Amino acid sequence: MTAERFRLLVSGVLIVGVVAAATLIALGFAASLLVGWQGSLGGAPNELSDATDFALMGSNLAAWRPVGFAQLGLVVLLATPVARVAASVAAFTIEGDRLYAGITAIVLLVLLTSIFVLH
Amino acid sequence: MTIGADLGIFVLSLAAGVIGALAGVGGGILVVPALTIVFGVDIRLAIGASIVSVIATSSGAAAAYVRDGMTDMRVGMFLELATTTGAVCGALLAAVVAPAALFILLGIVLLFSALQQVLRLGEELPPVADGSPLAARMRLVGTYPDARLGRDVPYAAQRVPLGFALMAGAGVVSGLLGIGSGALKVLAMDGAMRLPMKVSSATSNFMIGVTAAASAGIYLGRGDVDPTLTAPVALGVLAGATLGARILPRLSNQTVRLIFLPVLLAVGIETLLKGLGVGL
Repeated sequence: MTAERFRLLVSGVLIVGVVAAATLIALGFAASLLVGWQGSLGGAPNELSDATDFALMGSNLAAWRPVGFAQLGLVVLLATPVARVAASVAAFTIEGDRLYAGITAIVLLVLLTSIFVLH
Repeated sequence: MTIGADLGIFVLSLAAGVIGALAGVGGGILVVPALTIVFGVDIRLAIGASIVSVIATSSGAAAAYVRDGMTDMRVGMFLELATTTGAVCGALLAAVVAPAALFILLGIVLLFSALQQVLRLGEELPPVADGSPLAARMRLVGTYPDARLGRDVPYAAQRVPLGFALMAGAGVVSGLLGIGSGALKVLAMDGAMRLPMKVSSATSNFMIGVTAAASAGIYLGRGDVDPTLTAPVALGVLAGATLGARILPRLSNQTVRLIFLPVLLAVGIETLLKGLGVGL
């Protein structure tokens, strides 16, 4: 893998993550102007749920609530750096740089540990 | 929030994104006080929004910096080893260490570093030197395209162990205090490892998203991230960071340092005040 393709791969992951997140958040924001954050584009009854409760993301999305789109967009945004590290592991491995593939894999492991184990 | 307030928050976040992308920091220093003081947002939700803004600045700016070769990915990944492990240690230490003294200590360190930055204001590029043997072995050498100078500028990392130790410290601090990690990262790369200022800023931008992502889950689970407040913040910061990343390659290293210096001073003062019990 050339240095340029390496850079394009990693920056491509970041661009996809950022564009997907921004699109979802912007859609949620635009829809909230029409029906309110807790309203529903699908005609479901309004429920005054807690917008900060991300456990409700699935049901918010199922009911086409704007708050659900924004929640999904934020989750995609927060997951983007993790995806970038994972892509770097793959890129260093393909390049045959075992030292940096190893270093990056440890970073990914520590990152996933702190996300899923520490709390 | 009214549509007017949303618009105000968007514009403020846009500015935070531009400055963050140029200075290599997350923009939390601007977002948190502005949200609480100007828009009357609860401090807990403001901090949740600032974590999102750090990740948005990082990903938005790094997408361009990585593509353009401004970010040194080996330096970034090598140092992330230090910051992520440091952040985990910091989070574990948070239960046993009194933060007030640490805030004061960090504030003093940051303000002293500002002095060092003032002394370097006239320096466009660090003095040319061979990298340390460790830097050669770890391949922490490279070139970056300087649109301002119109050529590829070579560089080599100095004092790698010191930089690595400072980065571990930056990780502990961000895990423990949740503040100032971007500024510390720039200082470690510029001050200790003597990388060019633009490379330090772009590589710090690349790294801060990972540091923030490590703790973002905690904030999300605690209910500190309010999508209705964070939507204009995230959109504004993403737009600002994308804009900032287009500007940086055209600026001189001296201008980037001039932008970083007030940010560093503000982070230092805010951290010191926090330690003294003055909340902003």
